[in-house]
Amino acid sequence: MFIKENFKMALDSIFANKMRSFLTMLGIIIGIASVIAILAVGNGAAKEITGTFSDLGATTINLTANDSDDSNAALEQEDLVVLKDSIEEIQYISPNQQISGTASTEMDSRQAVVSYGTPDLQYLSQTMSSNLIHGRYFNQIDFDENNSVVVIDTDGAEALFGRTDVVGETLSVNITQTRLDLRIVGVVEGSFADMQGAFDADQIPLFMAMPQSTVGQQVPQLAGMNSVIIEVEDTEQIEPISNQIVRLLELRNDAVGENIYNARNFLQALDQVNNVLSLFINFIAAVAGIALLVGGIGVMNIMLVSVTERTREIGTRKALGATTKTILIQFLMEAVILSLIGGMIGLTLGILLSNVIASALNIVPIYTLGSVGLVLAFSTAVGVFFGIYPARKAAKLTPIDALRFE
Amino acid sequence: MIEITDIEKIYRLGGETIKALDKVTLSIKEGEFTSIMGPSGSGKSTLMNILGLLDRFDNGKYMLNGTDVTELSDDQLAGVRNKEIGFVFQSFNLMARMNVLENVMLPLVYAKVPADERKKRATEALEKVGLGDRLYHLTNEISGGQKQRVAIARSIVNRPSVLMADEPTGNLDSKTTEDIMRIFQDLNDEGTTIVMVTHEPEMAAYTKRIVHFRDGQITEDETVTPKQLSKAEVD
Ligand SMILES: Nc1ncnc2c1ncn2[C@@H]1O[C@H](COP(=O)(O)OP(=O)(O)OP(=O)(O)O)[C@@H](O)[C@H]1O
Ligand SMILES: [Mg+2]
Repeated sequence: MFIKENFKMALDSIFANKMRSFLTMLGIIIGIASVIAILAVGNGAAKEITGTFSDLGATTINLTANDSDDSNAALEQEDLVVLKDSIEEIQYISPNQQISGTASTEMDSRQAVVSYGTPDLQYLSQTMSSNLIHGRYFNQIDFDENNSVVVIDTDGAEALFGRTDVVGETLSVNITQTRLDLRIVGVVEGSFADMQGAFDADQIPLFMAMPQSTVGQQVPQLAGMNSVIIEVEDTEQIEPISNQIVRLLELRNDAVGENIYNARNFLQALDQVNNVLSLFINFIAAVAGIALLVGGIGVMNIMLVSVTERTREIGTRKALGATTKTILIQFLMEAVILSLIGGMIGLTLGILLSNVIASALNIVPIYTLGSVGLVLAFSTAVGVFFGIYPARKAAKLTPIDALRFE
Repeated sequence: MIEITDIEKIYRLGGETIKALDKVTLSIKEGEFTSIMGPSGSGKSTLMNILGLLDRFDNGKYMLNGTDVTELSDDQLAGVRNKEIGFVFQSFNLMARMNVLENVMLPLVYAKVPADERKKRATEALEKVGLGDRLYHLTNEISGGQKQRVAIARSIVNRPSVLMADEPTGNLDSKTTEDIMRIFQDLNDEGTTIVMVTHEPEMAAYTKRIVHFRDGQITEDETVTPKQLSKAEVD
């Protein structure tokens, strides 16, 4: 029997009962559409998230020391120096801590966000503001000598002094009931400028950046560094460098295997996101699987009806010389084409659906050749699996029984 | 060509057994036009189905063109039906949703004849039964008599050695019946062997040999001079 004739015959009988065929395909259509939509949206979301993480911190390592039962475990300034000296891929290393306080001059006072770290703080991609307008950033000498120097932002300068060029002026800041008197060495661009709306104009907080050593000396409870940001040059090396950092700290502080130091990078965060995402994908895939199963049973049911309806046709075909195999292939092909058409409609619908969902979520859906192949393979499999029983039933009829059927 | 010896067919319904064929022995030679006559329930269709290899029998022997058919598998039987036997059914048994030409090509499809050859031969067969101008009509767009002529075209398209017709005019009026019988006579004149079941003597009168049947047995086997229908009347 020729494929072409079988194909035409299958299409004829599918289109002879359009409504019935469509209802039969519905399960498959829904199943395939959801699979396609999930894969496209899921892949799009994964790509989006990966992109976001890479943009924000592909070269950033977040180093923490867990000092719950051993206060010595906190990171020392010496640790940072050693890390930077011994691992050449490390570009910048600095805590990036924030605490709020009140900044005041004789004229006025204002809420302040105090950011403190090493001079590398200015280079961290996460730092709030580092575009110098006047003066300089605090430097290594300031850090080593615990100098009482500060960098403030233009908004703060305007608020407290009525002008921006305030290098050399002094101000004081109250942090956790300690008063620090500080000399301004530089002015950076307004930090909260693009967050207007969030604050009333006269309440925009002042941004300050100063050496961690100075803060630690004057406010002892802020001396410990439990969290440090490290920037490396190249995202490729981020995982081995993270491991190297932990190993080095453990050796240096005699804490091998104690799980005190933790160097996290975007890859781990990404892993977590992907875990959640794949959990979600699996769940929907299970739902789609059930829809496909129901669709398959629908195909089987309709094929059984079709075999019964067409018993005399089968008898006539056998009288004219159709063999068991020929009839089997005819009905199997019909089941497969039925599910394949369902699959195609599902594919189209899935693409439409994923575009709607994706644009609502503001991501770009990703279609792979693999997912189209998956649809074809899956629909064929459903057709074969659920079509084989009715097809065998048709093929095994004896010609006389089939012809006499009423 | 057809040699059956002591053929028995027994139907079992519950505890009851019905002997539909009781030691039937019959020989049909090439070129014959035989009718099988008998009252309803006498076993005519049962015999035809066995002769046509659509049904199996319980006892006896059937040699078709020198082959013992009891030794053939189901698929081999399908092959023999395809090549050696043409069927004309009382209820036409055409494929709905297929046009006239496609219906006639169907046996050639199963015979794996290439597509262009199929079309050529099917068209020839349809011209022979006077339907050369209806090739692309659907089967529900033609009359009963035309349907039966399509069925006849389908039965001869594979050039079988025997044509079997079970009450081929049972669903047709007398005028159309004459048309069909004329086609049979023409085919027979060209050498086609025909076996036809009927319970009407008027139909049997068109054939060359009448086998009378009763209660599953042959009661009489007569050679007759067929009533001739003039060829000129074919439309
Ligand atoms: N499938 C079957 N199961 C049981 N009995 C059957 C079956 N087919 C036929 N018979 C019986 O076999 C006998 C012969 O039937 P058959 O159909 O051959 O008769 P027939 O001569 O063709 O009659 P008719 O002229 O009415 O078509 C009948 O008694 C019938 O009841
Ligand atoms: Mg009968």
